[in-house]
Amino acid sequence: MHHRFRPRRLARAALTVALAASPLVIAACTQYPNSVFHARTDTNRDIGFLFEILIWFGSIVFVVVEAILVYTLIRFRRRSSTTRQPEHVHGNTTLEITWTIIPALILVFIAIPTVRTIFRTQSRAASDALQVEVIGHQWWWEFRYPQYTVRTPTGKLDTVVTANELYLPKGRTVNFTLHSKDVIHSFWVPSLSGKRDLIANHTNYLWFTPDSAPSTAYNGFCVEYCGASHANMRFRTFVVTPDEFQSWIAHQETPAAFATPLPTPTTPTPVAGPNAKPTASAAPGGAPAAPAPAAAPAPPPTSVAQAGFIAFPRDSMPAYTIPKTPVPDIQYSNPYGDPARGAELLMKGQGACLGCHTIRGNPSMIGQIGPNLTHVGSRTTIAAGLYPNDDQHLALWIKNARKMKPGVLMPTIGLNEYDPQLNTTTKAGLTDQQIADIVAYLRALK
Amino acid sequence: MATTATAPVYAGAEEHAESGLWSWLTTVDHKRIAALYLGTSLFWFLAGGLEASIIRAQLAFPNGKVVSAEMFNELFTMHGTTMIFLVVMPLSAAFFNLLIPLQIGARDVAFPRLNAFSYWVYLFGSIFLNVSWFVGSAPDGGWFGYTPLTTFAYSHNLNIDFWVLGLQILGVSSLAAGFNFITTIINMRAPGMYFMRMPIFTWMAFIVQFLIVLAFPVITIALVFLQFDRFFGTNFYEIAQGGDPLLWQHLFWIFGHPEVYILILPAFGLVSEILPTFSRKPLFGYPVMVYSGMLIAFLGFGVWAHHMFAVGMGPIADTVFGVTTMLIAIPTGVKIFNWIFTMWGGVLRFTTAMKFAITLVALFTIGGISGVMHASPPADLQQTDTYFIVAHFHYVLVAGSMMGLFGGVYYYFPKFTGRMLDEKLGSWHFWLFFIGVNLTFFPMHFSGLYGMPRRIYRYDVGQGWETFNLMSSIGVIFQILGVAIGFWNFWRSRKVGAIAGNDPWGAPTLEWSIPSPPPDYNFARVPTVTSRYPLWDVKSPTLTSDVPHSRLGEERVDVDVGGHHTGKVGRAIGNPPGGPVGASTRAPGSPLTPVPPRRLPTARELGIPMPNPSIKPLFVALFMTLMFSSLIAIHKDKVPLAVALVITFAGAMTASLYGWLLTPLEDEH
Repeated sequence: MHHRFRPRRLARAALTVALAASPLVIAACTQYPNSVFHARTDTNRDIGFLFEILIWFGSIVFVVVEAILVYTLIRFRRRSSTTRQPEHVHGNTTLEITWTIIPALILVFIAIPTVRTIFRTQSRAASDALQVEVIGHQWWWEFRYPQYTVRTPTGKLDTVVTANELYLPKGRTVNFTLHSKDVIHSFWVPSLSGKRDLIANHTNYLWFTPDSAPSTAYNGFCVEYCGASHANMRFRTFVVTPDEFQSWIAHQETPAAFATPLPTPTTPTPVAGPNAKPTASAAPGGAPAAPAPAAAPAPPPTSVAQAGFIAFPRDSMPAYTIPKTPVPDIQYSNPYGDPARGAELLMKGQGACLGCHTIRGNPSMIGQIGPNLTHVGSRTTIAAGLYPNDDQHLALWIKNARKMKPGVLMPTIGLNEYDPQLNTTTKAGLTDQQIADIVAYLRALK
Repeated sequence: MATTATAPVYAGAEEHAESGLWSWLTTVDHKRIAALYLGTSLFWFLAGGLEASIIRAQLAFPNGKVVSAEMFNELFTMHGTTMIFLVVMPLSAAFFNLLIPLQIGARDVAFPRLNAFSYWVYLFGSIFLNVSWFVGSAPDGGWFGYTPLTTFAYSHNLNIDFWVLGLQILGVSSLAAGFNFITTIINMRAPGMYFMRMPIFTWMAFIVQFLIVLAFPVITIALVFLQFDRFFGTNFYEIAQGGDPLLWQHLFWIFGHPEVYILILPAFGLVSEILPTFSRKPLFGYPVMVYSGMLIAFLGFGVWAHHMFAVGMGPIADTVFGVTTMLIAIPTGVKIFNWIFTMWGGVLRFTTAMKFAITLVALFTIGGISGVMHASPPADLQQTDTYFIVAHFHYVLVAGSMMGLFGGVYYYFPKFTGRMLDEKLGSWHFWLFFIGVNLTFFPMHFSGLYGMPRRIYRYDVGQGWETFNLMSSIGVIFQILGVAIGFWNFWRSRKVGAIAGNDPWGAPTLEWSIPSPPPDYNFARVPTVTSRYPLWDVKSPTLTSDVPHSRLGEERVDVDVGGHHTGKVGRAIGNPPGGPVGASTRAPGSPLTPVPPRRLPTARELGIPMPNPSIKPLFVALFMTLMFSSLIAIHKDKVPLAVALVITFAGAMTASLYGWLLTPLEDEH
């Protein structure tokens, strides 16, 4: 009657699964860039300790229960020769009390460190913490640094603000203040900390210290379902040295400026892949530094070239932080773009960019709905971490954002482009040449 | 036993059509309603499974292009909504309907027409919800429907309207059934069927009905708020007017967590029936199983906010809800061990039903362990809204609820239809499904802990998730094959399966004492119950060894088997205890003893008054559904039309309801 002996297969399957599981956990750190087991912050180390307890107790309970079960199935299976009638046992109080108390004890061992960790991670953040305000939008992230102020073109005091790319100094506690402009979102960098929701009419807090994090980039995600492009609401977190952070934030405080475009090959590269290099201004030791005067309302913006750390060097970006999202079918002739012409187009309100976007330093660009584009040229990605920030993708994005990212609020701007939300073709819009000019301008906004 | 002797001679009820479409539309027989629930919920299982299959096709590879973002969001919303409200709950209801009256020795439920009404509301509600696919606006807010995403400000189309109204309609069905079953169990138990002699499935069903009648009002209120926001311009959830998004979350999860136990306890009940039968041993620790079921249900109302650790409730609330959640692991663990020790020392027969039941015990444990992991709030912040959670609740609901329910189908199919399911096909169904479930859901633990968020329609390459997602998608193929074989088995065996007889499994409880399928009146003579295991007392009185099933000195047995009174010590009809099961009738040398076809006496001949069939519950349900549906016209800017339709259908519903209430349930006697 060997073919009847099926429980053994069940046992084997359970065992295989359990065995397959353990090396995967160990391999986590190398192969899995977004693993929650990366212990790069104080918070994640605490959580990792809890996970260790949970996984150990969980595995023990699993093995014990399944072993007893499988043993029972094997030992008490009906054999063809069986004539025995089972004894009708109705229960056993001692046994039942035992298997009530043992789980209860295990839970005590889990509950105590759990409660300690709750109170430790949710205590008040260190008073000298870096403050970062995170504001969720459908479907992008606004990051503000309220400790670093700037003047807007209208003379108001504002904070340093950026979008979809978060810079954190290593070794300093960062305290996030989180809320949402619309639906609920959730802020999560799995390698650094647990998640926290962004909720309208609520303010949430989250802090951690990226103390053992090397200078590198991490992926962040929105993890609360927030509508059509929930999957496309990602961001990058750059953990950098304190010096680099100071240099970056000082640069962010300056208004927009663009270097005169280098006559280097921004021209017909059909698809700019992840290898696209930023223009030379990011390289240290280039042109001499010439900080722009604050809030200079002078249209054509002054040419500035920066030195020092103004953005995480693209060469050092780990592969998993470079988006490889396939591009939808949008025709674009990719002409040569002139940044000065692009600046002028925006000034005149072409494409209606000024309705939603701010570029500090460009007095007509004061929109508040979309991401702040002041230093957009220094960002590594566009569209909330969906595409690499290069000429090609930026042009396609401007031409037909709604094909590039489902449901997006930004309208389809390219002339004669089909708008998938309105189900119409835009009769008025930007030509490829105009788009190329605007792209050249935006890309120069380092 | 005195029932028949002293029964008044009733004027015989009219003979009712036993077949034909009309007989099904008008039926108030709990067994036929159970069959309707079974068929309908299995149909929606295919629909929900198709939705899941498309989801897995989309996610099999990075940056999948099978469906659009919008379509994906509709798919996962409808997958969840379908599987919870249109599959697991009504599939459980199929068993409640079939088994509660049979297990407590009753002739029907307390309110047979209300029972029919519950079914029709479920049917029309489920159709309404799915009509949304055909108008291109399937719900897309997730099964949890978080505001403000589902408020009109962020969802202008009809998608959420269908969801809100559909859930309201389905809630009516669940509540009506809940009150019906509670009344039935309290009032209609046969003589001697004390609460602590009730079969454990009926106990779990009883507990579930209390969960339903306590939890559904909460979601009803939450949905009424949302419905009023969307249709009538109120501001319960409108954030622009200062609405609090957390109001919805708290209301939803105060319903939503008990709902989890509404989904799992019926399966626990079925497993607690199956394991003793195929171990030939009583359930180990029956009282503890009852009390742990109650405790799970009670604690289930105090843990809702563990779904909300990420919303920032503060350390006190996190601690409280974390600890209460951990507490639930204790009664659940007790159940697992009691099941294992039910089998310990038994003579185990691995029928398909038994395999499904054992698998629930084995795999629910995994879902339970990951459940404890979520109960630790700081760790949960790294798990919630990732695929780890998806893995967890699919282990609970597929490897738990669905395994138990499939086991229930294999176990009770003979009672539904009078025929056995094919054990060979059943074995294929089980093994393919078992492999598929594990291959699909186990890797999700890893994709989750390696950072993959839930509800994303695509993910980028190089994130470390490709292998796990591909494994999950391949697992679905196994599940599809298993389910296809299983459904073929259900379809085929209903006509050509081996004749089951009263008691094909050698089971201990009352439902197996009567013919399969049972006559409309169930019990020719209402039995007097003296034990938790009356049939074992009849058939194998020697089994009880030193601990008797019944109280000492009490008359052992008094049940009808196959319409014939067995007397003090019964003779076994059907299979001899421990005999082989599931062999096909046509297999030569089959040891199964088919009961020779013989005419059962009708209710009239026995003088048993039975409720008359009625079409009115169907009308009330139909007009109620249409009344709710008419609200949709408001969002098509046809307010006068909407008002006219609502008033018309409300009038028609009220008229049908009066017609129902003014018609007596039974003929005069």
